[in-house]
Order: sequence, then structure tokens, then C-alpha cells
Amino acid sequence: MIPFDFSYYRPDSAGEAVALFQDLDAQGKKPLYYGGGTEIISMGRHNNVDTGAVIDIKSIPECGVQEFQDDSLVIGAGVTLTQIHEANLFPLLAQAGARVADHTTQNKITLGGNMCGSIVYRESLLPLLLTDCEVIIAGPGGNRNAPVNDIFDKQVQLNRGEVILQYRIPKSLVNSPHVHVKRTKSEKISYPLLTICALNSGQQVRFAFSGLCGYPFRSKEMEQALNDTSRPADERADHAISQLPEPMADNLESSAAYRQFVLKGSLVSILNELGG
Amino acid sequence: MQFLAVGKSVIRKEAWEKVTGQAKYTADISSPELLYGVIVTSTCAHGNIKQIDIETARSMPGVRAVITGDYYPILTGSVIKDRPPLASGKVRYYGEPVAVVVADTEAEAAAAALQVKVSYEELPTVNSPAEAIKANAPLLHEFVDQYQKSIPEVYPQANSNVVHHVKIRKGDLNKGWEDAEVVVEGSFTLPMSDHIAMETRNAMAHILSDGKIIIRTSSQAPFPVRKMISEQFGRDLGDVIVHVPLVGGAFGGKASVELEYLAVLASQAVGGRKVIISISREQDIASFPVKIALEARIKLGARRDGTLTAGEYTYLVGTGAYAESGPRMANAMAMSCTGPYKLDNVWCDALCVYTNHTYATAFRGFGHGSMTFAVERMMDKLAAALKMDPVQIRRKNAVKPGDTTPTQVELTESNLGNLQACIDKAETLINWEQGQVQYVGENKILARGVACFWKTSSSPTDALASAVVTFNSDGSANLQVGAVEIGPSTKTTLAQILAEKLSLDISRIHVEMEVDTGHSPHHWKTVASMSTFMVGRAVEEAADDALKQLLSLAAIAMVCAPEDLMVENGRIAYKDNPQEYIEFADIAHGYKHANGSTVGSQVIGRGSFVMPHLSPMDQETGKGKPGPYQTPGAQAVEVELNTADYTYRILKAVTVLDAGRVINPKAAQGLVMGAMSMGLGLATREELVFNQKQELSNTSLRTYKVMHIGQQPEYIVDWVETPNKAGPYGARGLAEHGILGIHAALLNALSKAAGVELDQLPVYAETIWKKVEEGRS
Repeated sequence: MIPFDFSYYRPDSAGEAVALFQDLDAQGKKPLYYGGGTEIISMGRHNNVDTGAVIDIKSIPECGVQEFQDDSLVIGAGVTLTQIHEANLFPLLAQAGARVADHTTQNKITLGGNMCGSIVYRESLLPLLLTDCEVIIAGPGGNRNAPVNDIFDKQVQLNRGEVILQYRIPKSLVNSPHVHVKRTKSEKISYPLLTICALNSGQQVRFAFSGLCGYPFRSKEMEQALNDTSRPADERADHAISQLPEPMADNLESSAAYRQFVLKGSLVSILNELGG
Repeated sequence: MQFLAVGKSVIRKEAWEKVTGQAKYTADISSPELLYGVIVTSTCAHGNIKQIDIETARSMPGVRAVITGDYYPILTGSVIKDRPPLASGKVRYYGEPVAVVVADTEAEAAAAALQVKVSYEELPTVNSPAEAIKANAPLLHEFVDQYQKSIPEVYPQANSNVVHHVKIRKGDLNKGWEDAEVVVEGSFTLPMSDHIAMETRNAMAHILSDGKIIIRTSSQAPFPVRKMISEQFGRDLGDVIVHVPLVGGAFGGKASVELEYLAVLASQAVGGRKVIISISREQDIASFPVKIALEARIKLGARRDGTLTAGEYTYLVGTGAYAESGPRMANAMAMSCTGPYKLDNVWCDALCVYTNHTYATAFRGFGHGSMTFAVERMMDKLAAALKMDPVQIRRKNAVKPGDTTPTQVELTESNLGNLQACIDKAETLINWEQGQVQYVGENKILARGVACFWKTSSSPTDALASAVVTFNSDGSANLQVGAVEIGPSTKTTLAQILAEKLSLDISRIHVEMEVDTGHSPHHWKTVASMSTFMVGRAVEEAADDALKQLLSLAAIAMVCAPEDLMVENGRIAYKDNPQEYIEFADIAHGYKHANGSTVGSQVIGRGSFVMPHLSPMDQETGKGKPGPYQTPGAQAVEVELNTADYTYRILKAVTVLDAGRVINPKAAQGLVMGAMSMGLGLATREELVFNQKQELSNTSLRTYKVMHIGQQPEYIVDWVETPNKAGPYGARGLAEHGILGIHAALLNALSKAAGVELDQLPVYAETIWKKVEEGRS
């Protein structure tokens, strides 16, 4: 039971959605764009969401696309993790999404929602970071495109009223050799102690992480360390760990020390599998 | 002996209702007159309430009343009256109810609840059972010795956090140590955890204009609810009517009276209108009673051949902020403190202590599970010290008829069962002969562990059960009992007992699922795995009573003596000529002669049962008979440990218990599997985590983890059947027992596999890693 009232809108176009947002915002409704709604509903129960209106993006045609177009795999922000898993056009993304929450929730969670929500793990973002994909954004000033690594830096970097419509992923990378590792405290369906996505682009092995710090990230310094083929895998792993962008998380899922132990073991085994 | 209904896997009577969703639980009721209550809870774990501002909340839309602790200041508790239903003056745990808002809709009540502002003056907290007994520990209850006792046998210590102390003094401990050639010691820690019944707690109440209080609640204890409400609100017992429909799981968590007080108070505050309070999962975990914490120390002495000579046990039972059933669980641990092993020299001190955590109540196993964890880890430590096989040391010391319990009850084949036979079967089922530890691949160790258990109930000595059997004119029978259907198919099992006694097909026995204290016969509580035993005995007596009436009517109809007749398939026939008979239908509402005149009337059988010869435990020695019989058993686990990262996979879990007689095999198997699953949940992931300020960190199922379907190992359940002469068809209780030793069996296996001593629950990969690292440095 959600103890506050809010209006629900389901516009048919991006332009309409953006206009609605501006209008509702001006009315002081604190509107939110709505993907699968899993966080808005579950946080609403605890009154941890403050909104008077939600704008469901799932009827915006661009948001529902999942297909190859020219050199890109285009996935709409309103496509669910289950749809991505079933289509399996980008196996690493399919795998990462299939370990976010449970299956019933995956039927609801959207690719855009998992990136833009408030739960910090955003594990389906990791494969996107690895591909340097392009993000198509609609906003009050019209549409714009930007690299995903600019749109997500510690948190989502969108201007007020902007909404993500699509991700354009380089087709050349979707079938690259890859590894997905998710480790939890004990239970399969749980927040990550760590999640690692790794992808061999041909030139190097790229790594993106969730659960290690307060946000998911890809780190050039760590990738450099891990791709330093002059050193053995476990030295590379140690060096990479010393380059973490912030101190290792220490929380309910794991102590920092154990997390480091698991991280090192995982990195070594990924390097052994993907070379680099 | 050939049985008609006993020993058959009868599908539960309410199966269709449940699988189609027609089954109605407490909160599955809506009505335009219904008002909704929402609870405001404490955000402080220990503090004086400086101010509660309810004015804003009271003026919000739809709000009918806002009540706080001073509205109706009473103290409650089933052992000692230490708990106000709404905090009064101070709060003692994070999540403690401080106010109830009643409004026209649940949303309005919830919105207003957010506007109740409470300010606290924070007090230092007691963070663990060990801290509770420190010399200068903060006191949760300043005058614990002055509280009114609900039972005489509770011994609070003034100016302390100790609400109860129970002792076992059996034999001569010094002699035991003198006889010992090996002495081992160990300490164990188990955290609090939650019941996580699928149906969260909820209760509904209204007060009629003549003062009658009507309650509908999700409870294991409708009769105690009636009694407590009648006492606290000054009503005749009969003027409080408690309805309990089907209950969606309870596991002990619904055996005490909690939410019912708040529902009645809420109704009283709105002039007696009907109010429902449905608790969210988050509040169910944080605010309502949970499982006790335990810190245990055990010292065992043994001869070189493995024979136990002395045992010294200290159990610190953390009951949280209020006692509720904590003291009774301290008793339960003490009375069974040795585990199912022969020990003539025993000292046990079990202390029930307050901490600034959610208060505790019964949990499946009633303290025996926590106690068994410590005892069974100790048995493995002793085996290691003696270089003995863990199965062998258990077999050597297993209790036998002629031995005595820690409370000096003499054991017989009937009241004990056959633990040896359970051990033998479990040993075979887990393939113990393949060794306790096997290397099965790179970084992969397969390990096996065992544990034994025993449990009896610790019921009040006057706990009683009753049953009424009424006959329909078509010869079918209705069964009414006061036991609640909380999930384990109790009512169907009781119907089987009745069907067997009446020699009537099970389909012709109709059981009333709901309990209504206005007309259901009395039953103590649906707890302690005792319903089949206690109510089963009452059903047998009711059946005998009905049969006597049927036989005497049949004797008139068939012109013979009742002794010349026998009962068979819903008929009564001549013993010497079974071809001649009369149907139950022809006499169930009296026998109508050919000329129309009728003899006799409706056949109504009544039966009741109270456990004979129970006595409370002596304050100084523990001597007494707290329970009627034991259910013993042996358990085993097979686990695969990955030594590269210390993750592990449970492959197999085995329980063999002496059920006396299995009345409904599939239902019983399901119960034991469910109990194992719950025990493995405790072993691998379940715990309440309190932060530095003693606020509960994992109040939701996002972070409080339970075993999920698909994650379970292969479960194997098998039985030994040594008749319990006091039980219906020889049956012993078995509903809790699968939980008791399974965590110990797992940790015995993991400790062996990892080469470290794992003595706390739960065990994560990280726990093992940390132990291994400590061992290295």
C-alpha cells in the first residue's frame, strides 16, 4: 500500500513525455519518469519516494525497440531485462540482467530504469559501459546523443527533464568473448558482494564493476593494470586493486577485506579465461 | 495391524481451498464499516520518550483516533508482565510500537502515522547477552524484580538484566571431572532471526455495545488471547470471543498475545468500531517478536573410550527488550541441556537476559535448536580430541531406556524412543562409510557431518486439549477441536485418528477449520509439536464416547447386548455374523422403530486430555517432569566446499526421527523437510543485524535472506517407529524436530572440510575465510 496519491501518465511520444514533465514540474508535482516501476512501488510503500506524478515511458515507440540497425544494436530504455535475456542479442547484457533481482522483477525492470533508479548497483549498466555505447536522450532542448561513459559517471548525468530513449551499442562488440561474475553473500538473488563484467574487445580486456564502491564504474587505470601483459595475472590483479577509485565497500554484503580476496580471485580467473 | 486411515498419506482437508485461493485468512475480509490501524514505531533502541506530538496526525483526513502508551497503560507478558503494548515512558528497542493511528482507510492511517513525531533522550544500550550481565551494564528494566509474575516459576534478579535463571544440578560434577581423561570446552553464538511466516501478523477487533469484545486474529493461541484480553480489559471469559481462521504459517511467532492488545485498544479508541491492523513485512520483522539470541559455553569430560563423565553448560538466552517466552525457553534448554546423551553428572545454568533488541518469543524448536547446535558441535570437538569417529561417539553415549534426563526423569522405551536406530539409519543414508572428508576435484572437498537431537515439550502442567464429535443424520461425523490449522495439516491428521477409531472413511469426517472460542472446545495452544499428541488423545476419547452411544443404540435396534456388536466401515454388525448390520445413518440421530417411535437422539462424543504427572522444575536442582515424552532423531548433511573461495553447496540433508507412529506419511515428510530447510536457512543466511546504535539494519526481505525454492539440497526423511504408549496410535510429535540439529550437522561437515572450528551462525563463505585467515596468522 502506497500511502500517498500520485497521477500516472503514459504518453505516446518522446516529445509528449518531455512536455508533460515540464508541465508537471512547473506545477510542483515532482514528476518521475517511470520504467518498470519496481523501485517507485517498493520505495513508495515506505514513503521513500516523493512524487505527485509518474510518466511511464513504455509507450514511447523508441523506448521499445530491440533490434540491429546498421552497425548498431539498438535497445530502448523501456525494454525489460527479461526481454533482453530472451532475445539474447548481446549475451553479456542478457547474462548481467538475468542476475538483477529475481525473475518476476526482471519481467518489470527496464534497461533505462536499472540505470536511472536509486539502488546503486545498476548491474545491467556494466556491459553498456564496456561497449562505450551511445545514449539517445530526449529533453526540453530536443534530442541529443552522448557516450554512456559521459552519461554515467558515479551517477546519472542527465539534465532535469531529460529521459533516455535508447542505447546504440556497437554491433562489433556484442559477440566478443566475455565473462560475467556475480558473487553474493550467500543467496543467489541478492545485492552483489561484487559483480564484474569483462569483455575482450580484441585490443584489450575491458572491465566494469559493481558492488566494490558506492557506484558502478569502469576504470581506465584498472584496465591498464589488468592489461599489462608483462606481469603475471596475480600481480596485475593486485596492481588493479590498488587503483580502485574509492576505498573498498564495507557493508552488510561483505567486509572490505573479504571483498578484496574475492575480487582478486575473480580477476585472476577472468584474466586466465580471456587472456589479455 | 491393518489400518483404515492411520499411516495413509491423506490430502489435507483444506487443500482445494488453499490451492484455488478460496481459503480465507484473517485479513481477507473487507467491509465498509472497517477502520484501519497503522502502528508508529520507535526509531531509537533505548531512550526516554521526551515528547510525542500527535496533533498534526490527529487533524489529518480520515483520522479517527491516535493513541499512545498513556491511553491504557497496562503491562503484559505470558511469564512476567514487563511489556506495555505501546511504549510508556521509555522505549527499549528499535521498532517498538509507540502509537497507533486509526483512520477510515489504510492509506490515510499510514499518511497520518508519518506525522506522529516522537523525540527521545537516548540511553546507553545493551548490545548482546554477554553485555547484559556485565557488572555495570545499563538496565533495561529498573525494577525487574517488582513486575507481576504470570507464572510462579520465574526468578528475576533485582538491579540486573537477568529476568530468569534456571539451574540443573544432577549427580556429582566433581566426581565427573575426576573420572574424565579428556576435557574439552567450546563457546557458541547464535544471532536473533525472524520467523518469516508467509502471512504477516494481523488482527481485527470490535467491541459490542454490551461490552463483548470480538477478535479475529492470526494466532496459534486463541484461548490465551481470550484469557489475556479478558484479564486486561475486565471482561468475563465468555464475553471475549476470538476467531482464528486458517493461519498462513506461524513457527511459534504467533503463540503469544501481541497485536491483539493493540487491535482492542484501537477499537476502544473509536467507540468499539471494527478496526484491523495488518502488519507490513518490515514491521513484522522489526517490531514483533523474533527468535532468541544465544551465547553458550560448554565443558565436557569423557573417558578415553568416549564415555561422557561430566557436562557443564552455560546458556545466555538473549530475549531482547521484553521477556515474553524467553524464560520458558531457558527452561527448555536447561531441561534438555545435555542433548540425547547419557550423562550422570550435569550442571547447567541458563540465564534469560534483556538486550536492546526486538523481543523474542517461541520459534520452531523452542530453544532446543539453539541448544542442540552448541551440544552437537561439542560432540564433534570431543570426538576430535579423542580421535574418535563422530558417529561412533554419539552411538556410544546415546541415551537408552533406564537412563535419566537432566531433570532426572527416568527414560523408558515408550517415553524415549530409539535413538540408536535413528543413528544407524542416518549413517547409511548419508553414506558415512565413504568417509567424512573426500577430495573430489581441484579445490573441491566433499564433507559429511552428523548431529543428534531430542525434544520434549515444556508445556504448563495443566495444559489441556478437547474434542467434540457430532454425528450427522447420514452417518458422517463432524470434528471440532481447539487446535488452529497453522499449516502442518493438523486437522487432517486428527480427522485420520477419528476415522480410524470410528472405522469411518476419511471423506465422511468433516473438520471445522476455524477456531471460535465461543464454541470450539478448549485447547491450550497450537505449539510444541503437541497437537497430534494432545488433541489426538482427546479425539480418541471423544470417539470412544460416541462409539459407546452408537453401540448402545445399535444394541436396542439389533436386540442384543452392546458387547455382541462391532464397528466396521461406518456400520455396526454382529460379531458372530458381520453380514447383519445397521448403518451409522440409522442410529446417528437416534433409532426410529418401525412403528415410528424413536429411541435416543443425536450422538455427540466428547473427549479431553491433560498430560498426566507433569511437574515444574525445582528452582535449585531443576528436578521435575516438564514434558510427557521425547522425540529423538539423527541428522546428517553432505556439503561440497570450494577451498579457493570458501563458497559451499549443500548437497544432501537427512533426518531420521523416531515418530512413534507416522499418521500421515507425506504430510510428516513435508514437515520434516520444511524444518530442515528452515534450519539450513539459519545455518547459511538468517540473522537480524543491528548496527552500532542497535537499529535493525535488515528489516526487509531484500536484505534478510531465507532459503528459496530451488536452492534446497536433496532432502531425505526416514522414520523409526517405537510406539509412544501414551500417544494416539503410538505417535510422537515431529513438526519442529527437523530443524533441531541440521545446522550443527552442516557446521560439523564444514568445520572438518575447512579445518577450522565454526561455532557461530550463520556461516557465510566470508566466515570460513576469516577463520582460515586467523588460523594462518
